[in-house]
Amino acid sequence: MRTLLSFLLLALASVVAAISTSGNRLLVVLDDVADKATYSKFFADLAEREFKITYETPKSDSLNLFNLGERTYDHVLFLPVHTKGLGPNLTPMTLLDFVNAQGNILLALSANTTTPTSLVSLLSELDITLPTDRNSLVVDHFNYDITSAADSHHVLLLPAPKPVRAGIKDFFSEDAGSKLIAFPRGVGAVLGNGELLNPILRAPPTAYSYNPKEQAEVVDDLFAAGQQLSLVSTVQARNNARVTVVGSAEMLQDKWFDASVTKLDGKPVVQTFNREFAKRVSGWTFQEIGVLKVNWVEHHLEEEGAPNDSNPEMYRVKNNVSYTISLAEYAWDHWIGFNVPESDQVQLEFSMLSPFHRLNLKEESRRLAAVHYHTVFTIPDQHGIFNFKVNYKRPLLSNIEEKNTVSVRHMAHDEWPRSYAISGAWPWIAGIGATVSGFLGFVALWMYSAPVAAKKVTVKKTQ
Amino acid sequence: MRWLPALLSASLFAAGSFAAKKSSEERFAEFHAKQTSHAPVKLTDVSFKSLTTAPRDYSVAVILTALDARYGCQLCREFQPEWELLSKSWVKGDKSAESRLVFGSLDFGDGRETFMGFGLQTAPVLFFFPPTAGPHAAASPEPIRYDFTNGPVPAEMMHSWLVRHLDGRPHPPVKRPVDYLKWAVSFTMITGSLTGVYVLWPYVVPVIQNRNVWAAFTLIAILLFTSGHMFNQIRKVPYVANNPRGGVSYFAAGFQNQYGMETQVVAALYGILSFAAISLAVKVPRIADPRSQVITVWAWSGIILVVYSFLLSVFRVKNAGYPFYLPPFM
Amino acid sequence: MDQSVNDSEPLQQPAPPRGSTNHQITAIMSADSLERLAVAGKGDSTRTLLRVIILLLIAGAAISSRLFSVIRFESIIHEFDPWFNFRATKYLVANGFYKFWDWFDDRTWHPLGRVTGGTLYPGLMVTSGVIYHALRALSIPVDIRNVCVLLAPAFSGLTAYAAYLLTNEMTPSSSAGLLAAIFMGIAPGYISRSVAGSYDNEAIAIFLLVFTFYLWIKALKLGSMLWGALCALFYGYMVASWGGYAFITCLLPLHAFVLICMGRYSTRLYVSYTSWYALGTLASMQIPFVGFLPVKTSEHMPALGIFGFLQLLAFLDYVRSAIPSRQFQTFLWVFAGSVFGIGLTGLVIATSAGYIAPWGGRFYSLWDTGYAKIHIPIIASVSEHQPTAWPAFFFDLNMLIWLLPAGIYLCYQKLADEHVFVIVYALFGSYFAGVMVRLMLTLTPVVCVAAAIALSTILDTYLKAKSPIPEEHLVEEPTDGTSKKVSKPGLRASSKPYIGIYATFSKVTVAGAMTAYLLMFVAHCTWVTSNAYSSPSVVLASRMPDGSQHIIDDYREAYQWLRQNTKDDAKIMSWWDYGYQIGGMADRPTLVDNNTWNNTHIATVGKAMASREEVSYPIMRQHEVDYILVVFGGLLGYSGDDINKFLWMVRIAEGIWPDEVKEREFFTPRGEYRVDAGATDTMKNSLMYKMSYHNYNNLFPPGQAQDRVRGVRLPDDGGPVLNSIEEAFTSENWIIRIYKVKDLDNLGRDHASASAFERGQKKKKVIKKKGPRVLRVD
Repeated sequence: MRTLLSFLLLALASVVAAISTSGNRLLVVLDDVADKATYSKFFADLAEREFKITYETPKSDSLNLFNLGERTYDHVLFLPVHTKGLGPNLTPMTLLDFVNAQGNILLALSANTTTPTSLVSLLSELDITLPTDRNSLVVDHFNYDITSAADSHHVLLLPAPKPVRAGIKDFFSEDAGSKLIAFPRGVGAVLGNGELLNPILRAPPTAYSYNPKEQAEVVDDLFAAGQQLSLVSTVQARNNARVTVVGSAEMLQDKWFDASVTKLDGKPVVQTFNREFAKRVSGWTFQEIGVLKVNWVEHHLEEEGAPNDSNPEMYRVKNNVSYTISLAEYAWDHWIGFNVPESDQVQLEFSMLSPFHRLNLKEESRRLAAVHYHTVFTIPDQHGIFNFKVNYKRPLLSNIEEKNTVSVRHMAHDEWPRSYAISGAWPWIAGIGATVSGFLGFVALWMYSAPVAAKKVTVKKTQ
Repeated sequence: MRWLPALLSASLFAAGSFAAKKSSEERFAEFHAKQTSHAPVKLTDVSFKSLTTAPRDYSVAVILTALDARYGCQLCREFQPEWELLSKSWVKGDKSAESRLVFGSLDFGDGRETFMGFGLQTAPVLFFFPPTAGPHAAASPEPIRYDFTNGPVPAEMMHSWLVRHLDGRPHPPVKRPVDYLKWAVSFTMITGSLTGVYVLWPYVVPVIQNRNVWAAFTLIAILLFTSGHMFNQIRKVPYVANNPRGGVSYFAAGFQNQYGMETQVVAALYGILSFAAISLAVKVPRIADPRSQVITVWAWSGIILVVYSFLLSVFRVKNAGYPFYLPPFM
Repeated sequence: MDQSVNDSEPLQQPAPPRGSTNHQITAIMSADSLERLAVAGKGDSTRTLLRVIILLLIAGAAISSRLFSVIRFESIIHEFDPWFNFRATKYLVANGFYKFWDWFDDRTWHPLGRVTGGTLYPGLMVTSGVIYHALRALSIPVDIRNVCVLLAPAFSGLTAYAAYLLTNEMTPSSSAGLLAAIFMGIAPGYISRSVAGSYDNEAIAIFLLVFTFYLWIKALKLGSMLWGALCALFYGYMVASWGGYAFITCLLPLHAFVLICMGRYSTRLYVSYTSWYALGTLASMQIPFVGFLPVKTSEHMPALGIFGFLQLLAFLDYVRSAIPSRQFQTFLWVFAGSVFGIGLTGLVIATSAGYIAPWGGRFYSLWDTGYAKIHIPIIASVSEHQPTAWPAFFFDLNMLIWLLPAGIYLCYQKLADEHVFVIVYALFGSYFAGVMVRLMLTLTPVVCVAAAIALSTILDTYLKAKSPIPEEHLVEEPTDGTSKKVSKPGLRASSKPYIGIYATFSKVTVAGAMTAYLLMFVAHCTWVTSNAYSSPSVVLASRMPDGSQHIIDDYREAYQWLRQNTKDDAKIMSWWDYGYQIGGMADRPTLVDNNTWNNTHIATVGKAMASREEVSYPIMRQHEVDYILVVFGGLLGYSGDDINKFLWMVRIAEGIWPDEVKEREFFTPRGEYRVDAGATDTMKNSLMYKMSYHNYNNLFPPGQAQDRVRGVRLPDDGGPVLNSIEEAFTSENWIIRIYKVKDLDNLGRDHASASAFERGQKKKKVIKKKGPRVLRVD
């Protein structure tokens, strides 16, 4: 039945192939529909991934994120605009509602233009902080492009980012080779400590953010520097809606897509990695990669002679129970089985108020579009309402929070071992036997004994 | 409790000058010496301040009390022996002073300023000053306050309260000294009473075998119980109360409560009624003389009528809207 | 004491003489009662027929006087516990007995669940289940609800009959039994727990109590093993039905003990007691909930002790009948006494050593009346565990309360074993009733019996048609055989010979007066029943200004809302009083309910209610709470609301977390419990306060918000603000308010700032110019 299921999933996957898991209606907000030409390659890539792109300016009246309470777009891409406000259709509240309704937002900033206030307050709600003064930008006197930004070192050259920790899937630096990411005239953001935030691309240790206008001579009171500066940062809300902030919109433009850059140490000219990086960032934001799903969850009694029907409502204390969960991951255009990275584990909690078991799930079997994780364990000797809980939340992967509630009942009155099966009870059983036989013997003696005794008894009786 | 540190520092300011001279080590040594000789240490304003000055690497438990008779603090006097017992057995229990705890008691007579410093209206109050230095240093120098909201507590409960704030340190248990006198007294009492019973046996027997005695005892007990005596016992109701108009009200308003006087009246009424019933049932038919019999019948019937109607009127006071009544008390 | 027994009457000839005197008396008394009743009906059969008719009428009266609530409102289950019994009965009827026995209820005490089958007294449910199935078998289609609603009245009829039987054992006068029956039938003290719809254990337990006592007396009188066994059987039924069985378990041994001390040990006593104890204990141990308590806990120890003592006495009795030497006997008595004493001390030691469980809290609080208030607030908090004020006695028993002592006195007159029983019962019953309101129930039967004895004696005396002739009595006074024997040690009052009433006039007077009082008693009972005991506290009735009746149905409105608007397994958190009702009417899982077996869990709820939102929210998430239900009477002036119960929540929580919840902080420095502007911050920030007064100001013009229960004006500061929960439902009269627990914020903000943003307040820049900046670590 599981195989059947996975086949169905396969069929499903092939149907929905090549579009994002959460729809393909993309809205692009930019200053002037004309200047989308500068991003033509980027948009071409998106269109090729079957996104239906709509171009709007913030002021236009036809711009509506919601229609009758339903999202009209699945994704929004903000390119830098010159106006300070975004108008009544894009208030921070609307944008938050959009995110809460599982819409994804890709946000491209630029040092040349001020970030609109509604976006700033949206970001501050997400605990992402931008420099307070307008057009302050990130420079680095060690990793910059000598060809384009010879004196004003504001075109940063960075290697494709590796995961921060072991056990995190690597989405952005695969087959990057020696290519570099060019980050021209970008804004760096400072992230709070929330676990929903994740920096993809961080500034090199030698970078810092300053304002060329006011702080031309001397830089006092830095906004932020080094690793704290996040150039491309992501937020994944609890409902898996994704918000990405790209510090420099310019890096998405055609001219940087296959430009060639040179580092300070006069290394030979290298190609920029921007095009691929842009594709992956947009792909991640628009739910094309890093999306997990639970195909099904199945648990049953693992006892011999017991009926093993799937997902029963109730177990008994000290039962053996088997639990299986089938996970899949979306890769650009189809579902594949999800393999847990090295040095990471999918864990099952069997909990009431607090976990009674926390077990690592083993990979049981691998199908085309699913990997089944499985374990068998014994229910603790405590009745109550328990939860099978799989709570797998990792950076850059959508959340998995599976909760299946079962009741664990006590031993029924006839489920205990019989008394004669317990060796300790034999003396008592013997005692019962002795008493019964003794009593019977006494009665017999009483009834068939001589009338003399009987007379005595009658005397006692009358008293 | 916000104001507490401020006040504390204020009150400590005066003492600060000389308290600062001594290190907390010395201070602890000094006070511990005192409490080994006699615990709890009897404090005054000055010694209290020096004892509780921060920084201190020891903890202090001080009872602020008012033992003097003229303050009429019953609770203080009830708790003081318990406190002494606790401190003594604690100090005995840990001779090497590993728990580094000083027990003190500050009487209102010697510590007015301290009382004012804490803005205390009531006594007793127990303050526990956690150490501000050393391994068990607490975050804030603020003392932890224990109000005796629900009555006097035995030494054991206070002990457990202290233990909660003294984790990771030895907690010598409370040792109640055996009260030999009490044992002796009770023993002699028992033996005495036994011998008394033995001697008086011939005289006691007729009494305990007399039905009238038992009957009287039973009836009285039943009357007490059914007239809400246990309620008085448990709720400690007043005997009578003054009503707002200055007079004395014998009957509590409301269905759910009562006064002591009231219950006695009711018990008496019940008693009369049942006695009347008894005599009607038992005495009257045994009167040989017809005329006196008729008179008694009439007398008792009259009494029942009057008393019962009075009872009903009383009940109407308790339960407004009770519709039934009898003449003459309408 | 033992010696006194020795002197009073040597045990060689214990039973027969007294027995025979009894017979003589009954013979004589019944003789004149016979000719008295001959006036009413001719012959024996007529009398029996009359009796049957009268008893049937009494049963009818008893039942019909309990139907007020059904007629006024509808056939509905009443206040709290009955709702659980009803639910359990439905489960039993649906799933059969064995399923019921092993029932694990996963919809109460979330997430612990309750092993219901093993923690309840199944008697009630099984009884109504049997009735239901029997009616079905007779092809009478009946709804289980109606069976449950009408069970209590039906059993009250049986109780009246049981009272009749019991009283007939006490006195030969046949009118006493009928009087007792009617008293039992309509006494408010019993009606209070047995009106139609109050489907509680007491409904059948009282019948079992009285009937068990009847069987005990019967067994004692006849000294028959059969009746003892019957007594044990019904005792077992009683144990299966009500926790109050401990009353029997303690009263019968006490009776036996008193008899022994009076030197009335007899083989009858031995046979009846031993057969009752042996079989009864075995029977009681069959109930899962009771299990091994009868041999483990102190409540049951007296019965065991007397059992042992009786064996000892029997042995001694046998020995002394064999060896009739004076000294040896005294030695034996000393021996017996010492064994008894040793056994007692051994018991005490075993208890203190912990081999025998000490008294259960509820039970112990009967003796040490201050105990519960200090140690077990959860018991002290229950309203029906409060002591009884005298008006309650009069309210529940009216004239019977002053006839009781008279009856007891009459019992002293001819002090046979059964009268001793009545005396002991009356003494202890009245004590318990004085300590706990609910135990009025156990007092009522004996009051009815005693009152009936007294009243019947009066009536028999004054309703006798033929008057004695003065002269002959004046002469033949000295030679009066009967009454001498009646009062052997005798009471002073009854020392003189019995004559009778001469004047018809006085007869008429007394009889008339008594009849009047009786009529008034009936009126009183009816009035009390209809006004006090017939409202199903689920539906409140109030009077409009124009006197018309207005039904306040908020409870059912709210429960219906829950049933229809929440998902099937939404966990409802409320104070434990409403647990059973939510389970029964709304059919939703609850955290705590009226079966207060787990103090910690209740304290958890208390803590959640008494703490700040930031503290309670994690607790509620941990317990998967979806909705919170609070009762608020401020608008209507409904005094039984949660703010008035709040202090108990605080106390119970403080019992477990003395450092986190402090009762002191809910009182102002001047020691007042206030909810208006003067309330303490702890009070104002507590979840309960916020939930009660949330949005309450908007009902009134500014500054006019008024709490009609506490009778105070609320501060005009826009009312409390809730961040982590949101109002879901408020009933018509604001009695029930239901709140929904919010989920975690989607963007990972804390609820305070999230809802601040909702309210349109700009979040201030997190960049702090001064102080070290918070660096992000990955």
